[in-house]
Amino acid sequence: MKNIVHSKWYQTVLFLLMTAVIIAGIGFPIVQKPTAWYEFPYIPGLEENARIIFFHVPSSWLATVAFLMATIYSIKYLLKKRLEDDMKAFTSIQLGMVFVILATITGSIWAKFAWGSFWHWDPRETSIFALLLIYGALFALRSAIENEEKKATLSAVYNIIVFVTVPFFIFIMPRIMAGLHPGSADDTNSGPVVNFKMNGNMQLIFYLSLIAFSMLYAWMWVLGARSMKMLYNVRKQKFYNE
Amino acid sequence: MDFFSENALYIVMVIVLLTWGGIFSFLAVLDKRLKDLQREIKEN
Repeated sequence: MKNIVHSKWYQTVLFLLMTAVIIAGIGFPIVQKPTAWYEFPYIPGLEENARIIFFHVPSSWLATVAFLMATIYSIKYLLKKRLEDDMKAFTSIQLGMVFVILATITGSIWAKFAWGSFWHWDPRETSIFALLLIYGALFALRSAIENEEKKATLSAVYNIIVFVTVPFFIFIMPRIMAGLHPGSADDTNSGPVVNFKMNGNMQLIFYLSLIAFSMLYAWMWVLGARSMKMLYNVRKQKFYNE
Repeated sequence: MDFFSENALYIVMVIVLLTWGGIFSFLAVLDKRLKDLQREIKEN
């Protein structure tokens, strides 16, 4: 994967895909009855705010993927005790936090225009806030331990345990409780949006956005893990030289 | 002022595109720097 991510064609495809998603997602008009290929349908309950789907949903989706990858590498670390796996897990958590924060910011902007204020303590907002606190605690845990092996082992165990809460907070709780977010238990208006309310070209841009965001995540992940590994090797070499 | 209110969506689009361009350039430069650094460490 490392070589693919560093290749020029990968970076060019990512740049073009994301640029296309931004132009289509923000620039294409939303109309009552789309007739042209570049028109998006009017979704009751979302209206013009529907554009944020192309950025908000991939952000929260990638946060879940990042936390899943971190858990996989945490399990790998506990099995093989290779510090490289811990570095990959921690970099993925850092990126997961970035994407959770992005999802929260884009969601708050959406909430301001759709529901009247930036924050409502809706089940979806509450669950994302809980996730931020849970994963934020991992940074405190890691910064409190100096020994690299101990730090890696404890954070791997913590990471595996807390990942159990992720499906509950992201997929279950907001869907079984009444709330304002599309897809809530009492939602009769807009959710589920992706399968039933989008037309073909809107779905295409949405899936292209998911691919572009995933490619961006993969690139950032490889860069982050690589820089962590280099820093570790340089420090180790310096330690032996002294 | 009419220009800004009538074309608000396109202005947002341009700002987001510029931001994306900035993020992409930053990552591309970082990628190159890391590659060079790794090569130098290997040589030494």
